[in-house]
Amino acid sequence: MSAGAENIYLPKLAVLDRVQDEIAEVKTFYWHFEDPEEQRRFGRFRPGQFAQVSVFGTGEFPLSLPPSPTEGQTFFTARQVGSCSGALHALKPGDQFAVRGPYGNGFPMEDYYGKNLVFVAGGIGLIPLRSCIIYALAHREKFQRIQIFLGARTVRDLMYREDLRRWEQSAGVECHLTVDRADPAWKGHVGVVGSLFKKPGIEVPVDNTIAFVCGPPIMFRFVIKDLLNMGLPERCIVSTLERYMKCGVGKCGHCCIGVAYVCVDGPVFTYEQIKKLGEDI
Amino acid sequence: MKARILNHDQVLTVVDLLRARGYEVIAPFCRDEESRRDTFFDVVTDDNRAHVRVHVANPFYPPKRYVLPHIERLFRIGTGSGTLDIQPTYEHPKRAIFGIRSCDVAGLWHLDRFYLGREFRDTYYEQRRRNLFLVNVVCSDPEADIADECFCVCADTGPAARDHFDLQLMDLHDGEFMAVAGTPAGESLFSEAIFRRGTAAHVERRRSLLADVRKRFKTTTSWFPATVRYVSQGKILEKTWEEIGNRCLECGGCTYVCPACTCFTVTDRKVGPDEIERVRIWDACALGGFTRMAGGHNPRKAVHDRRNRRFFRKLAHYFIQRELSMACLGCGRCAAVCHGDVGMPSVVEMIRRATGETERLSATAGEEQP
Repeated sequence: MSAGAENIYLPKLAVLDRVQDEIAEVKTFYWHFEDPEEQRRFGRFRPGQFAQVSVFGTGEFPLSLPPSPTEGQTFFTARQVGSCSGALHALKPGDQFAVRGPYGNGFPMEDYYGKNLVFVAGGIGLIPLRSCIIYALAHREKFQRIQIFLGARTVRDLMYREDLRRWEQSAGVECHLTVDRADPAWKGHVGVVGSLFKKPGIEVPVDNTIAFVCGPPIMFRFVIKDLLNMGLPERCIVSTLERYMKCGVGKCGHCCIGVAYVCVDGPVFTYEQIKKLGEDI
Repeated sequence: MKARILNHDQVLTVVDLLRARGYEVIAPFCRDEESRRDTFFDVVTDDNRAHVRVHVANPFYPPKRYVLPHIERLFRIGTGSGTLDIQPTYEHPKRAIFGIRSCDVAGLWHLDRFYLGREFRDTYYEQRRRNLFLVNVVCSDPEADIADECFCVCADTGPAARDHFDLQLMDLHDGEFMAVAGTPAGESLFSEAIFRRGTAAHVERRRSLLADVRKRFKTTTSWFPATVRYVSQGKILEKTWEEIGNRCLECGGCTYVCPACTCFTVTDRKVGPDEIERVRIWDACALGGFTRMAGGHNPRKAVHDRRNRRFFRKLAHYFIQRELSMACLGCGRCAAVCHGDVGMPSVVEMIRRATGETERLSATAGEEQP
């Protein structure tokens, strides 16, 4: 057999171009594949898909793809929590690492044409949703209303500042921010992300709407409750699940919940599906 | 399928024939004459050839490791030349397993469906599997072959495999063995002089022997289909899983000896000043760290969640339909190694008792209502 042509575990070499600080312990890593052909192939990923990232000597781990395929860029945003993300954070521009993917089902954005899109993100839950938001804005005429509700613990925990500024100023999107604890300079809303729904002047469309929800488990539970109370059907709430993963291709068994492999059957599931899987978020 | 007859004293000639054809032959051995349960698979050499056992208790360490080693190198990564050099390392030995039991044949078939089926094919498994020749030996001696925990009759995988072997040997216990070819590769051996044509009497003897052996199993788990239904329909109470979980010591032994377990983890290790290798290692859903993510969040915190996981994966309809086989073959190894007695037969029994009880109670409650 030719060396690795069909090897599902073989990552391709990539080079780190630059690193950008987002918030404490979270950075964005811009990179490209050494092989331009691989870069072209990979560049056709869908919003919501993920990649397996190798920092050799430490290991391999899954990361969401925050860029939209419409941007023509490849980058990851990662918090430094474990050994692999720690090793990624230690890389310098010019350093080599390796990537394979894209994996997973991604969000079926074409199915959402003609609908209202409501994005609800808490903290670094914005990472996977950023891809969909940028994609939706790039195809703005295909969708009805687009709303973004974003919560963070403090003002310093708001990430993708440049994007946020753009979204807040853009006419085509209603962007609402909130923080749990304000500092004196903060003029915006204070409270958990769900409290935005009840803010005067905000009206969340319920009919013909898809709600994207991503964030820490506790935020997820409360937001789901709010959305269901507003009358949004379970099948119209979508999210992406996170699990420990070793292969990304349905073999290693770590990410399997109930009947589904998060890596190949997900990571995008509707709330209707998530409920049936029967495990903690 | 074609069948032939060979003499009892020529059965190890099959090992020689395979070795002469260039196969590395793996066969079962016994540590010594006294400890009949202390058995293992090993490579046949000129020195140990005479000690190969035909009738032997199935070794605890399953032959799965010949297609999925418990530690397997995936790549070698050179770091010395200024650029990373990733070299996949494949092994595709010409190998035969002599004396693989019917349960383990079914186990390999399950692994075939899992690693080679669906969208992604596992290259490493495929390379090891491609040239693997299987000589299945039917468990026909209730004393030597069948352990107390064996229940292949309930999992419908034994005592005689119906398919997925190259050659099957069965002792007719009258000085002769019957050989059945399962593939053209197996049939090609029949040109050798040791094989001769059989008669209808041989076939009848095989049938009656098997009918007798089927009655000699000590463990029977006839509630498999009901348990599969209960598990698939989510009918098993949390309380039952808790009872099962309370008895699990989280040693991972059941997954280590299971011929149908597929999970692995992947890690890198430094092997030289300029070299790293990436290896995959068997992993077990019984272990607490199996689903723990960086940062500490673990969606499957309780022991019984993990026990639930293992039996759900093995028995739920969804997986049986997808992999075309149940992920339990009735080899009984988990029952033999489990210190808490929550191997498959015990779990099936616990589920039967608890869930059957609940169903009866709800049926009675239904009758009492006006």
